[in-house]
Amino acid sequence: MDELKVSDARPYEIVQERETIQYIVIKLGNEQYGIDIKFVDNIVRMQHITRVPKVMNYLKGVINLRGEVIPVMSLRLKMDLPADEITKATRIIILKLEQQGTIGIIVDEVKEVVTLITDEIEKVAYDGTDDRVNFITGVGKHNNELISLLDLNVIAL
Amino acid sequence: MDVNQYLEIFLDETREHLESLNAQILKLEQEPEDADTINEIFRAAHSLKGMAGTMGYKRMQALTHDMENVFSEIRNGTMKVNSNLVDTLFQCLDALEEYTANIQETADEGTNDNQQLITQLNKYLKSQGNTQPEAEKAPESQEPVPEGPEEKWLDIKIGESERLVFSNAKAQGKNVYGITVCVQESCLLKAARAFLVYKAVEEKAEIIVCNPPANDIEDERFDLDFSLIVVSDCDLEEILKSARNVSEIEKVVGAPYEFEAVETLEPKEVKETETKPAVSSQPQNAPAKANDKKPAGKPVVNRTVRVDIEKLDVLMNLVSELIIAKNSLVSASNAEGVSGNGVNEHIEYLESVTTNLHESVMKVRMVPIESVVSKFPRMIRDLSKKLDKKMELYMSGEETELDRTVVDEIGDPLMHLLRNSADHGLESAEVRAERGKPEVGSIFLDAYQDGNNVVIEVRDDGNGIDVEAVKNKAIEREVITAEQADNMSEKDIINLLFHAGFSTAKTISDVSGRGVGLDVVKSKIESLSGEVEVKSKLGEGSTWIIRLPLTLAIIQALMVTVGGEKYAISLGSIQTLEDIAPSDIKLVQNREVIHLRGSVIPIIRLSEELDIESCKAPDENMTVVIVKKGDKLAGLVIDELMGQQEIVIKSLGKYISKCKIISGATILGDGEVALILDANALI
Repeated sequence: MDELKVSDARPYEIVQERETIQYIVIKLGNEQYGIDIKFVDNIVRMQHITRVPKVMNYLKGVINLRGEVIPVMSLRLKMDLPADEITKATRIIILKLEQQGTIGIIVDEVKEVVTLITDEIEKVAYDGTDDRVNFITGVGKHNNELISLLDLNVIAL
Repeated sequence: MDVNQYLEIFLDETREHLESLNAQILKLEQEPEDADTINEIFRAAHSLKGMAGTMGYKRMQALTHDMENVFSEIRNGTMKVNSNLVDTLFQCLDALEEYTANIQETADEGTNDNQQLITQLNKYLKSQGNTQPEAEKAPESQEPVPEGPEEKWLDIKIGESERLVFSNAKAQGKNVYGITVCVQESCLLKAARAFLVYKAVEEKAEIIVCNPPANDIEDERFDLDFSLIVVSDCDLEEILKSARNVSEIEKVVGAPYEFEAVETLEPKEVKETETKPAVSSQPQNAPAKANDKKPAGKPVVNRTVRVDIEKLDVLMNLVSELIIAKNSLVSASNAEGVSGNGVNEHIEYLESVTTNLHESVMKVRMVPIESVVSKFPRMIRDLSKKLDKKMELYMSGEETELDRTVVDEIGDPLMHLLRNSADHGLESAEVRAERGKPEVGSIFLDAYQDGNNVVIEVRDDGNGIDVEAVKNKAIEREVITAEQADNMSEKDIINLLFHAGFSTAKTISDVSGRGVGLDVVKSKIESLSGEVEVKSKLGEGSTWIIRLPLTLAIIQALMVTVGGEKYAISLGSIQTLEDIAPSDIKLVQNREVIHLRGSVIPIIRLSEELDIESCKAPDENMTVVIVKKGDKLAGLVIDELMGQQEIVIKSLGKYISKCKIISGATILGDGEVALILDANALI
């Protein structure tokens, strides 16, 4: 009996070691970004956004999501990319963050959900000279493509 | 079953009793001879002791026990109330509050024995030449136990098996008792009380027969009394006492149970017929007893239900959703042009129902501010001693009702203003005498409803605000420069008091004046969508006026458009709507104003404030919404009026909180979000 238990435990341990995180892959221009799925509450189509005056330019306004008023920001403007071009593929990803509460971010396109193994994610070293690096926690590889993993806490600051 | 499930009831009731004790002891100090007050205090203390005992909070029980002894002496007239005694009693109440707070957090009373307070109480008792046992007897002799009509346990029919048990118990030298427990008529949770009694008795004795059966008691299927037959080693008095310790128990009677030997059946029949008339006389007796136990004027039966505030919040949210749904129905029917088949009448009916529903739910959420202000007389009394100033607090309008969430939040700001008045406002006795004012300073707390607002005023007849002192302090603290100060009106300078980091008290006392305070008061009240202002006359006193909205969630609003965007303005702040020709606008100090019915009103162009292009040509007549804040007016220039609507206020969330002129958002009938303009911030 004792032996059996030991052999049972081993494969389980291996799975435990290789921790995985699921990411939603989105597109901004030609680049691919990943958003940790545990923060994603919902993905909705582009809809009318009510402008809020006197706020930062990347805050596009508020939307009505099933009776809740939720602020929406443009990921492109936040990352100093050219302004959004609204197409049929444009989506608003609703994020639930611990500190900032619920916010929506506008992305060009939602592609797929990928599972990345934590070990294979390359950490990005902090570089004070380039602002854009700060939005990214690491880079993951999937099907020979690179996915920049977004640091949501920095984005939602 | 576990005592823990009664913890909430215990906490609620303890707080109620403590609150009443606080108020009554204060009253006792004023009228030491008032029998009603003393009886009320005694009852509250007694219930507290009983409750603490049943829940197993020994320290709390010990302290209340000694307090009860003191009250009993006062009631018997062998002890006089003096200020020192009242002080000690208040300290005891504080200690009890501490226990309660501990229990709420950890379900444990903590380890503070408060031995010092107990010794102090006993010292008072001893100094009156009374010993404790005497005091303890007092409450019992007060409630004589008339045996006879209450002895309902005699009705219990016992079977062979029980009789056998009794015989065996007797043989083992144990006692068999019959007990009848009467629950108070006003008791809300009879089953819970009965259970507590049951549990208390069970600790001391083995319960053999229960009438009605235990299951029925648990399901509350009994009148006001139930009977037990128990077997125990203990003294009867001991068992009865533990049962009496449960609060809201009218009385517990008991006696050794005489049972017949197994063979004789006939005498039992006789006994039953004997007791029957006695039982029927019980109902006449009981109400009479209940009446002389309670002070006149208090309803015997409390027809209320305790509801969790969260459930009310859910209800309120649902009503909000319903109103949004109704609004969308209205806009859909308008858009589609369906007017046949009386659709409009139905919608109008629906509208009136939802409005009534909203009002009813609002009313349910309203609680009198009494629960907050009732602790203030005690606070002022303490302050009066601490600051060595004589002062009196006069309150009116305690019955004024406000939304529960507001009432919960308003306590601290009010307390701060009262402390402020006591510490900074009122002068010392010598100064008051010099100025020809009565020696005792007066602080007033008045609450009343004013339209859709509730106004709470804190007024004192003290020194008032020294504008010069405020000005100098502001310059010293670099809040303003000397040049700015010269240009400021008296009112502006007084408003500097609400500036963060400002205190004019010359010395820092622990009552108030740490430099934090008035700004916190202001921001707290503003977070409740209210406002605070101050009026003052040097040497005569000052008045702090807090204005709070009756409701926080749903308001009547005027919908307007500016540059194609929809905005809502709360109807409460709107004075009038005006049509103004561009030529009527004049410039005063480089600001646009209009002259309207004798007053000059500054104009605010909303399109500029909101950073949007107005859709109107500059030479067209302008629609101006005149809004007021306190006694200030301003005209908001809008593009078009859309109409009046009931709107549900939704928060914009923390993320967009920086925008001052927007106080929130609302969802319109078509699902679109419209922002709510904060007229107060615009002025």
